[in-house]
Amino acid sequence: MKSAWHKVLFSFALVLMFALAACGGNDEEEENAASGENESDSSKTIEFMHLWPEGSSKQHHEIVNSIIDEFESDHPDVTVDVEILGNEQYKEKLKVLSTSNELPDVGMTWAAGFLDPYVGGDMFAPLDDILEGPLKDKFVAGTAEAYAVDDVTYGLPLELNITPLYYNQRIFDENGVEVPGTFEELKEAIQTLADNGVTPVALGNKDRWTGSMWYMYLADRIGGSKALNSAIDRTGSFEDPALIQAAEEIQELVDMDAFINGFNGLGNDEAKGYFINEQAAMYLMATWDLPEWTTNEDNPQEFRDSVDYAKFPTVEGGEGDANSYVGGPGVGLFVAENSDVKDEAKEFVSFFVEKWGERSVTDAGVIPATVVDTEGLDLPQMYIDILNDLNEASNLTLYADVQMSAGVADVHLDSIQALFGKAITPEEFAKQQEDALAAEE
Amino acid sequence: MNKVMSNKAVIALYVLPAFILIVALIYGPILITGYYGLMDWDGIGAKTFVGLDNYMELIKDAKFWQSAYHSFLLAFFSTLSLVPYLAISLILAGKVKGSDLLRKIYLIPMLLSSVAIAQLWVKIYDPNNGMLNSLLTMVGVENPPAWLADTNLVLYAIFVAILWQYAGFYIIIYYAALKGIPESLVEAAKIDGASPIQIAYKIKVPLISGVIKVTVVLAIVGSLKYFDLIYVMTGGGPNGASEVIASYMYKKAFDTFDFGYGSAIAFFLLLITLIVTWITRKLTASEDEIQY
Amino acid sequence: MAQTQSTAGKDNSILTKVGMSVLYIGLIIVAVFQIYPLIWLFQFSLKSNSEVFGMSPFALPQDPKWENYVRVWTDGNINLYFFNSVWITVVSVLLTLLFASFVTFAITRMNWKLNKLVLGLFMVGLMVPIHSAIIPLFSFFLELNLIDNPLSIILSYTAFNLPLTIMILLGFYYTLPREIEEAAVVDGCSIHRIFFQITLPMTTPVLATTAIINMIYNWNEFIFVNTFISSDKFKTLTVGIQNFIGQYLTDWGAIGATLMISIIPILIAFLILSNRIVEGIAAGSVKG
Repeated sequence: MKSAWHKVLFSFALVLMFALAACGGNDEEEENAASGENESDSSKTIEFMHLWPEGSSKQHHEIVNSIIDEFESDHPDVTVDVEILGNEQYKEKLKVLSTSNELPDVGMTWAAGFLDPYVGGDMFAPLDDILEGPLKDKFVAGTAEAYAVDDVTYGLPLELNITPLYYNQRIFDENGVEVPGTFEELKEAIQTLADNGVTPVALGNKDRWTGSMWYMYLADRIGGSKALNSAIDRTGSFEDPALIQAAEEIQELVDMDAFINGFNGLGNDEAKGYFINEQAAMYLMATWDLPEWTTNEDNPQEFRDSVDYAKFPTVEGGEGDANSYVGGPGVGLFVAENSDVKDEAKEFVSFFVEKWGERSVTDAGVIPATVVDTEGLDLPQMYIDILNDLNEASNLTLYADVQMSAGVADVHLDSIQALFGKAITPEEFAKQQEDALAAEE
Repeated sequence: MNKVMSNKAVIALYVLPAFILIVALIYGPILITGYYGLMDWDGIGAKTFVGLDNYMELIKDAKFWQSAYHSFLLAFFSTLSLVPYLAISLILAGKVKGSDLLRKIYLIPMLLSSVAIAQLWVKIYDPNNGMLNSLLTMVGVENPPAWLADTNLVLYAIFVAILWQYAGFYIIIYYAALKGIPESLVEAAKIDGASPIQIAYKIKVPLISGVIKVTVVLAIVGSLKYFDLIYVMTGGGPNGASEVIASYMYKKAFDTFDFGYGSAIAFFLLLITLIVTWITRKLTASEDEIQY
Repeated sequence: MAQTQSTAGKDNSILTKVGMSVLYIGLIIVAVFQIYPLIWLFQFSLKSNSEVFGMSPFALPQDPKWENYVRVWTDGNINLYFFNSVWITVVSVLLTLLFASFVTFAITRMNWKLNKLVLGLFMVGLMVPIHSAIIPLFSFFLELNLIDNPLSIILSYTAFNLPLTIMILLGFYYTLPREIEEAAVVDGCSIHRIFFQITLPMTTPVLATTAIINMIYNWNEFIFVNTFISSDKFKTLTVGIQNFIGQYLTDWGAIGATLMISIIPILIAFLILSNRIVEGIAAGSVKG
């Protein structure tokens, strides 16, 4: 026993010393490396943080790597250092880095409400020179604007999503349901499906922004494309009758059992699972899910063949039209204001956006925020249709939770969940958000 | 004796490394957090000193008090759950055939990371395809509840998962404590004709009372700052029905860019925990710790 | 067992037998509940997303996707992460146990005025949630130039696990007989010898227990790693999971496979350490 413990202790001491020595060594090396960097101007490093890991987003990841390779071979004196994180961890780390003013030279940001505090804290560099220069007129109208604060643009978008209503043709056929063109028809379809014991709509409202999409569309179709926007930008009010009526319609849908049982406790991933397994007939989701219905081999072929999409139905007597969409740019690139390689970083961003736009839709199924010429592209039919719809779009309303500041967005999302759960009335729903918006003015 | 055991240099040598670590890495940060709590700060831009405004707001914040109530409930149930865990440990530490294997099996869930446990319980509670509701439907229950969507049930549904997650943690501590009881004491009682239950209740439990008190504190403190499963499984919802202090704090600090307020919640949480722990220690204090 | 039955058998052997059977049935049911998650996780790791979300969670994967494991191994830097996880966990656990034992020994065995106060300070450390310390900690390590250095994680793990470890050790130290140590003092033993050769061996069971708990915490931790480490060469296994969480699409099967791979070493370590718990104080005190 005694000698055994001696051995354990001895080896423990060794490990400890080794560890400390090893770490100490690292320190010195790093310092040397750092000072070396400063001394020679010949080689520069751009730190780039993104959220497309190889495991979950293989195609994205590969495009990024090949763009970086291309950029590095064009600029032999520049190396791009990449750090990759998952979605949630990315947001958390960005936050921590910004508190110490340690943002990477180039990284990804979301539009409007997410971007505002970073701009307010002078963390992001203005990118108007790129927008006016090499990338002039390259973006779909309204996308880069979502990254502007007081007419200065701080981010260049990489994606553009709109939100179609996906449905399962096979389930529709089996139940004798037609693709709804109006809200009345949608309600009839829901009634028929519910009567036949089929779940009409898959909705994962634990995530809250999912329910927000339904509400936003109804607000748009009833009150027109300006109703919600003017409530948020304070030229109007959230207690607009159209916005209250939209909330009433939501609760009517809930009463009709339109949404899957237990939707307020289901995440979006689970809700999508119901749709993919043909346990629900409809699913309102953005175009980022297009690969799921077209190219993703994990999902059964029969299922993918039976999925189609429709524009969100119009409400009779309402002011909105079918070509008005809820959607918006997803992530965009920013350049850190305090970057010591700002010029190179801007050049990289400009290069990246352009190359990404050329390849993202064909290689990764991501609709870029830059204009895509569909001619001659080898794409699934659903992509072609969506891209054509985009060209005909009359309006694009940015997702409410992205438009709003983070604090108000949280109130909005909580109210959505409460509205769907019938914990509050449509009037209370409107009032809560009106109060939150007014408090921020 | 006293001289050897009062050597100041040795005491310093033994205590200082750990002490410096926790002062630098725990006390430093939490005091800085307390300082941030006096600021209006989004975590990015300039800080504005607002004095106790955040705390004033906190005291009036109904959502905060709701989440605090949930945290206290969790602390209460966690403490209660120690009784069955102690019972299981008593059985396992007794001379039951196969107890060695059983003990190892019982501790397996403890090895799983929160990611895995959250996924498992989400699958258990899924309202339509889930394990629990499949079983309930099979035995003839109509319309089984949608556990995580029902504002009346969601908190308790998650509590079950949390208590289960920590079962192994307490069982292993109790088990080790029970194994430390000298065999001679138990043998003596047996010769006196005590039944196994009497031995457990009259001898074993009092002997490990020090450890039990520690676990009570651990359960309460752990519950008050609990975060993991709740954040992953419900995000505090629906409608705040499963929000706890730590998840509310996280939301404020990291999701809604209200870093000053989030820090105030964090610091307030520390104060609450301190007070509750102090009360617990007073309530469980006995003449002195059992010594041989 | 034999003893229990022989003593109890005198009173009421049938009742005892029935009681024992009920007890066993109960124990086995609990055991099934406890081991099922592992089986479930294994099935989960062989599924595709549509199976994970669509089918009954009891269902076996229809077409086991072993390629999930292949992907996990090739697409992620899993082998490197694996190595990092192991050495970072081992170093942190050893540091924590040593420091915690030092402190507990000094508090319970040595005589000084401030011991209660210092103990209280350690206990308060237990109450700080990680998320409320993470941002100040980041700036602290940044000042020390320790960001993206494994030392930052090791020190954080040690510091944040110390209070818990001390608390658990404390409960045991209080119940531990002091006679042997007192005798050693009388024999003129130095304090370090007492600590290393008597106290530490006597506390093997609790050290094994806290080692298990620490090991599990460190092995599964990801907030510190995420925040303090940016180079791939220092990341640990939990980060490997993130590799499969996408912007809009998460590959759950691959996450299952990563979790399954990462549980194996800790399961083995657990089984080994868990045996040390049983090697009770008796052995230590007789031979120490």
